[in-house]
Amino acid sequence: MSLFPPRTFVDRAIYHDGQTAAARRIQVEVMPLEKLLVLHLDDGAKLTWPLDEVRQVPDLAGKDQLVLRRAGTGTERIIVANATDIGLIRATAPNLGRKDPVPQKGRILRWASAAVGAVALIIFVLVPVMADQLARFLPPEGEKALGDATLLQIRRALDETGFSELPICDSRKGTYALRQIERRLAANADLPIDLTVHVLDHPMVNAFALPGGHIVLFRGLIDEAETPEEVAAVFAHEMGHVEARDPTRIALRSAGSIGVLGLLFGDFAGGALVLFLTERLIQADYTREAEAAADAYAHSLLLAADLPPHGIATFFERLQDSYGDEPAILQHFLSHPEMGDRIAAARAATPAFFEGRQLLTETEWQALRAICDRY
Amino acid sequence: MTEGQGPWAAGKKLDTSTHRSPWPHAAGADPSPRVTPQDDARPRFSVPPASGQLATGFAGRRGRLFGLAFRTSLLTILTLGIYRFWMKTRLRRWYWSAVRPGGTPLEYTGTPIEKLLGFLMAVVIMAFYIGVVNLILMFVSFAVLADNYAAYLTSFLGVIPLWFYASYRSRRYVLARTRWRGIRFGLEPGAWGYTWRAILHWMVTILSLGLLWPRMTFALEKYKIDRTSFGSVRLHQGGKWTMLYRIALLPILSGLTMVGIGVWILYLDPIGPMVPDPFSDVRQLGPRNPERIWLLVLAGMVGCVGIVRYIVQSKAIMANHKTAGGVGLIAAPRTGRVLWIYSMGYFLTYLCMVLLMIPLLMLLGFYQLGFEPDFGEGPVSAIPEWVLIVAGLILYFSIFLTWSVLRHPLVTLPLWRHYAETLTITGEAELAQIRQRDRDEFSEAEGFAEALDVGAAI
Repeated sequence: MSLFPPRTFVDRAIYHDGQTAAARRIQVEVMPLEKLLVLHLDDGAKLTWPLDEVRQVPDLAGKDQLVLRRAGTGTERIIVANATDIGLIRATAPNLGRKDPVPQKGRILRWASAAVGAVALIIFVLVPVMADQLARFLPPEGEKALGDATLLQIRRALDETGFSELPICDSRKGTYALRQIERRLAANADLPIDLTVHVLDHPMVNAFALPGGHIVLFRGLIDEAETPEEVAAVFAHEMGHVEARDPTRIALRSAGSIGVLGLLFGDFAGGALVLFLTERLIQADYTREAEAAADAYAHSLLLAADLPPHGIATFFERLQDSYGDEPAILQHFLSHPEMGDRIAAARAATPAFFEGRQLLTETEWQALRAICDRY
Repeated sequence: MTEGQGPWAAGKKLDTSTHRSPWPHAAGADPSPRVTPQDDARPRFSVPPASGQLATGFAGRRGRLFGLAFRTSLLTILTLGIYRFWMKTRLRRWYWSAVRPGGTPLEYTGTPIEKLLGFLMAVVIMAFYIGVVNLILMFVSFAVLADNYAAYLTSFLGVIPLWFYASYRSRRYVLARTRWRGIRFGLEPGAWGYTWRAILHWMVTILSLGLLWPRMTFALEKYKIDRTSFGSVRLHQGGKWTMLYRIALLPILSGLTMVGIGVWILYLDPIGPMVPDPFSDVRQLGPRNPERIWLLVLAGMVGCVGIVRYIVQSKAIMANHKTAGGVGLIAAPRTGRVLWIYSMGYFLTYLCMVLLMIPLLMLLGFYQLGFEPDFGEGPVSAIPEWVLIVAGLILYFSIFLTWSVLRHPLVTLPLWRHYAETLTITGEAELAQIRQRDRDEFSEAEGFAEALDVGAAI
């Protein structure tokens, strides 16, 4: 005893044979026992569709219709437009909602790996190589403009209100003290470009260099340092990056990479992506070699300026002692695995019985620490 | 099987490309009694179509569309954008099936997988172009001009030809995946021809201060339509470009009027000195007759209405001159209705966005007032920054979600419905003669358009 009568006619259906644009009125006979759908055309011809091959066309807007097709890529269609008939088809066709198997899995995999490979090749090989070459030929004015643009972008990204730029700290006495450090170091250096030094009013313990001789210290770094010599040590390190033009290379690289990554993610994450890359620029992931070179540069520069190279070592060690388990804070300075080596190298670079010349008076040092105070 | 186009052949393609999304309507006769009881009871036509004519119905409802758009957009965010190919496919299936010329729904047969594949192919080529070209432009702009705006501008100009190219290719893909009555549409290859024509027409239009705008509208539409087929039948765009001047006069004249008023109140009889003259010892006078600025605003508003009217009615006029053998179209969209849909739709969308933003902004404000001082100065404030970033991301994505979801039920759907319901197809008897055409594999799908974000509407 079947649940359904063996012969049920679905009336009011339209058949498109997929060969002509004619619309033919048909009667559909549902035969659940034989698992068949028999289409009676208007000219008396009959077509049979196995019930388990009947599929519905998905995501139909109007629920008053059901559009049927056969499994596979055929172009025939049956349109059923009566609620009772739709219910009958739904109850008898077992695989109505099944999807056709995805035909090109291998192809997708190949193209996906090609795309990933191409993007990786461009971001990790082509763009860096080109950026390194181009950075050499960028004239000083161009480098300066690139640095100005980047600094503005960073100040905007770090401003918490999102509507203006992070303020630059420039109390008169603090700026004077900062100039003292800059003069002392610059007098002993032979930089290809004039320095522009800023302190940004932000609690992050960080400092970085930008193209065009920009050196930027965050307020958090000055707060955390206990002596002017520690600030000078960080300063000298950043001068090493300026000397090697590391920031110019990074900025050109990010110019090439931003567009490519934006392409991958589509418009939906464009804004978030720019933020992310700005972050990358601040945290400037230089290579080990670049860091080591900047350290070496800093050591000899500090010695030439009668300043102790181990300033950076005491600074790092104190940070490690205080916040050893707080990776978020020290990511710039301490996330490098070779940090211990760098501390050791700074100590080794300091001659025994080293006696430096005073960098700042106590008053000047206090003025520098208060550089972000207004009035 | 692409057979010769008989003179009897009929088939129809109308570009009611609303909202930047060109999509085909098909028209044709239905020899059977009406199959479709419309599932919403809106009045269709005050006058029923004459014999041999087919009215176009629209069967979609806002609530269902909202649900579909919300689910698929959320999945898109959660999958970092991968699901967008599925989202696009499902939304298109929905919209296409909502449009029912002669009671038979259109069908969209594109698949997400082919879109993904096409996108991956485009990435391989575009990543190279964008990465290398951006870098060189950036370098040249800083090295030569010491400025990055030049780079943005050149970079933008460099993408324009690709944009036209991609939009034609994308149209070809969409038409190849559109069927009505089981018969495929198709568009001949011709993307480069379209690209250089479009660039030339744009240049001519700009050089003629907009006076030759109708010529561009008509020529580009004709290029596309004359290469479009429904099954075995080629479409034809009839008429002349001068027929569009009837509706182009209003925006052109208001534009010229605005220029005239601008010259008057800025140079001939200035409202007031824009920059105080340091060498003049005459004190700066107050503005003279500043109410004249309203003339400019008035002309601007008339111009905006004129532009919308031009966009809507130029489609209608050109649709009424499209033929395919014995089949034709009668399109009667109403400018006022379209203006109403746009203004109400976007107003409601923005209203919802603002309402949604209020709790989020309050949360942020609460956080800033209540928690941040506790961490005080010093290095621990690195933690609030992390929280801020997460909050910012949530804010960013909810704006994205609200915008991309609400646009569908509030703007796109009513527009499609209006264009569909004001469209009639003539010459239904010719339809039975139209044969199927071969499948256009077109494996690149709309990869380039996807990569360039062309036609982001659906």
